[in-house]
Amino acid sequence: MAAAATTEQKAVTSADLEKSFKEYSIAEFFKKNRQMLGYSGDVRSLTTIVHEYVTNSLDACEDSRVLPEITVEVEALTAKPRHTELGAGDGEKRAFEISDEIGKAATLRIFVGGSEKKRGEDYVIKYERKGGSSVKMLVFKSSAPPKDAPLSAEWAIGHLRVAVQDNGSGIPKSKVGAAIGKLLAGTKFNERMQKRGQQGIGASYATLFAQITTGKPTRVKTGTGDYKVYECDVSIDVKRNEPAISNPKEYSGNFKGLRVETEFSEVAYDRSEYGVYEYLRRTALANPHAQITLIEPSKEITVFPRASKDLPKKPKPAKPHPLGLTTSDLMDMAGVTEARKISSFLTNELTKVTDDKVKELAGIINGAGWERKKKEELVIDFDKHPKTLQWAQAEALVHSFQKVKFYNPDMDTLQPIGEEQIRKSLKNLLAPEHMKVVERKPKVFRGGIPFMVEAAIAYGGKAGKKEDGSTEGEIMRFANRVPLLFDSGNCAITEAVKNMDWNRYELKNIEEQPVAVFINFVSVYVPYTGAGKLAVSAEEEIVSEIRMALMECAREIAMHIHGMQKAEDEEKRRQIFFRYIEEVAECLHDITGKDKAVIVQKLRKIAEERTALAEAEDAEAEAELEKVEKEAEKEIGEEG
Amino acid sequence: MAKTETREETLKKIDVMAERLLKQADAKENLHLDIPIRGSSNVFFDEKGKKIVLGDKVAKRYLFNVAHARRFMQTMLVSSYVKKDLLENNLTATLRDLYYAKKHTIRGTRDENTIEEQNESDSAIVDLEVSLDTFRERLHLRAEPKGRMAGDMVVSDRVRNKVDKIDLAHMGSGGWAVPSIVEQVEFTDVGAEYVLVAEKNAIFDRLNEDEYWKKNKCILITTAGQAARGARRLIQRISTELKMPIYCLTDADPYGWYIYSTMKYGSMALAHESDRLGCPAMKFLGMSISDIEHYDLRNVTIKAKEVDIKRAQELKNYDWFKSREWQAEINKFLDKKIKAEIQALSSKSLQYISKTYLPDKINAQDFLP
Repeated sequence: MAAAATTEQKAVTSADLEKSFKEYSIAEFFKKNRQMLGYSGDVRSLTTIVHEYVTNSLDACEDSRVLPEITVEVEALTAKPRHTELGAGDGEKRAFEISDEIGKAATLRIFVGGSEKKRGEDYVIKYERKGGSSVKMLVFKSSAPPKDAPLSAEWAIGHLRVAVQDNGSGIPKSKVGAAIGKLLAGTKFNERMQKRGQQGIGASYATLFAQITTGKPTRVKTGTGDYKVYECDVSIDVKRNEPAISNPKEYSGNFKGLRVETEFSEVAYDRSEYGVYEYLRRTALANPHAQITLIEPSKEITVFPRASKDLPKKPKPAKPHPLGLTTSDLMDMAGVTEARKISSFLTNELTKVTDDKVKELAGIINGAGWERKKKEELVIDFDKHPKTLQWAQAEALVHSFQKVKFYNPDMDTLQPIGEEQIRKSLKNLLAPEHMKVVERKPKVFRGGIPFMVEAAIAYGGKAGKKEDGSTEGEIMRFANRVPLLFDSGNCAITEAVKNMDWNRYELKNIEEQPVAVFINFVSVYVPYTGAGKLAVSAEEEIVSEIRMALMECAREIAMHIHGMQKAEDEEKRRQIFFRYIEEVAECLHDITGKDKAVIVQKLRKIAEERTALAEAEDAEAEAELEKVEKEAEKEIGEEG
Repeated sequence: MAKTETREETLKKIDVMAERLLKQADAKENLHLDIPIRGSSNVFFDEKGKKIVLGDKVAKRYLFNVAHARRFMQTMLVSSYVKKDLLENNLTATLRDLYYAKKHTIRGTRDENTIEEQNESDSAIVDLEVSLDTFRERLHLRAEPKGRMAGDMVVSDRVRNKVDKIDLAHMGSGGWAVPSIVEQVEFTDVGAEYVLVAEKNAIFDRLNEDEYWKKNKCILITTAGQAARGARRLIQRISTELKMPIYCLTDADPYGWYIYSTMKYGSMALAHESDRLGCPAMKFLGMSISDIEHYDLRNVTIKAKEVDIKRAQELKNYDWFKSREWQAEINKFLDKKIKAEIQALSSKSLQYISKTYLPDKINAQDFLP
């Protein structure tokens, strides 16, 4: 209806649209949107891959109501590691040019003067433009390698093999292709409901990423619990965007769940705060019902044990609200909808979208408001089939959702982790000396979107303790249980943490305290900043609510620290008193001739009772003494 | 002087204190001593008696108080040493003797000593003095002796039971060293008519060499800087027992003035002893800021330093410097910002001080109060 209705330039026929859609290769699409989908940077790409698989696994287990047992294995498929001398430090230089091969190596260990440095923490690998081409640089973050310290790299090119296995519902044989090998098609076959961070479209992108970087298909093994196991290789026919199945194998066995295994290049494994290890550790924290095992390229096995046997309540089926959608979500839905027109697709698949609202959207997108972007693909014919919807068009739709006044989503869709679950989880993984968990009541932002905040602060134990034994306060951000590892600078959670006056809570310089701060933002509609889903938009209501939660936690921690200090002070006081008792008793014995042992005993008894006395008394006396002594000091030297 | 009686009295005071502490222990109270507060908040100038006196504010020093415990323990150490080692044996000791006698590592600690620095035991001694309402000499504790004298007078001194007669007219170039405890000293055969107290050794030596005391019928004393307790007590006794005028000679600067005021009115730190150490009749002979003009010494003055100015401003606010004359003197100093040493007089000639300056000033009775 709308496409031709407005201006001359926009008189684009649907035939044109179809043509442009077809010419738009799926591989190009991926390349163009790779960044948005989380595939930027070697380490981050790997985290994204694992995230996609693990998220699907968790959802699959919850769907079939089993306690998740997920194993993630990352293996370096390389020849022997090679060793390369990179020169020596001069005490000042921080950036060292390295060969492209080393920069792209699947495993890389950097040594300065013989001791290994941590990627992400001590150094990063960067591209730098030099002349017409770009070179790889090894850049040390905080301090330059000391003078004459030899720099060396142990590295191996090759691929990383990633395998993720779960004990969930598995995928029926007939749907394997669509789930793993078709882009812009839903991977979830149960009814659409609110899942972790509205994620879960990504397994196919991982398949494509493997295909592009290594040419390898993705090996899938699935069993739905009927003692039939199905295995096959899945790749994507990028021209048609259709799955290609090869090497199928069917046999009997009691495997239930899904195992996905494939090889990647242009990815890197490390234990930085952006890496797979940290991602899984935090995922385990936010999902106490899951047991997650990680096998690292070093063959080290880490089990994040299950802390609770309570499965999260099954989320109430609810259609998504337009304000909560990202472009890829919309594309994903358009790929699987049964609606025949974009207009009915919007009214059927989304909540609170009426025919009138669709008209409004059409007015915005095809009308005067969008004149700046007169690209043809921005014009949407709402009568066309949803499958013809292009990325740019979906993007335009998502933008215009923000400009239309929809009714608010329903309140009862919030799915918090729960106070008790968080407590179990933190206890399980951090064994803190003390912790406080707070679950705030639901509030609304943007005038009506419900959300709630769960927060916890853990103090002592393993909280804030790094592997090397040093202490560094840790801020863990989550949105609907999904760890947010990247882009912390733009996040409402970071802002709330920064705005806290930690001094008041005995947590001065929180970055150096043995604390772990845990915040889960819960909403069916997480207002992410940008399409990357890495940070929660710092809306006033959200920041304020997170602050309230943090303050509540911090108060309790402050009391705990204060109590510890008090006990410590008491012990110190007791020791001081006991130290002098002997001397005083001896003097009193010398003067009066009374039995020293008796005097000692009496004094000790008083000392015990007195140690618990209010500190105020001491502080007051100290101040008085100090004043008197200061004045007396002035006169010192007078007597010679 | 009824010395033995005093000793027993002092012994008794220590016993009473210790018994009271034991009673507090029996009553499960926090053991404490009452110690009059020393310092400006509890020190006043007694206009009538012309002395600095201690007010009646009392602080409690507790054993079971983190801030007090160590000092309390040190005061106990002093008490037992004074009783057992000094008074009971009729011996005297220096502050340093006591410091070494009672310094040892506290049992159960690796390196904490009962007393680290001597100033700690010195402070504990003063605590004991004021809490027993007694003074150091009665505790048989001696400060380092300081000060020398010469003049037309014979004194008798006693070392335990031996009595020595000392003719201060025949003490050679160095003079007689004033002992730290002078209670036992008696004055006989007094030919002098006044006492001249000089702040500086150099002036004493000059005047002694010039036989000033002989020619001018006086007793010459040097305090060698801030006067020690022995010298102060001795000057007071001469003033009250022999009714002789006492004239004081210091540099023309705030430190000289303060040395004078301490001898005359007492000090804040020893306000509890002003009665026995102060000498309200003392007069300030010089050197005054006006002397600089009068004797034409401007060429030999020294520029006042920041600290001098600050100190002068402080002195100006002390109640015992509130007389018109002193305020004028201090203002003059603050205005000109110069000071002068007594030795500046040597710029005229070596004997100018003994032949011209002193006789002039004394004849004209040109003193500050």
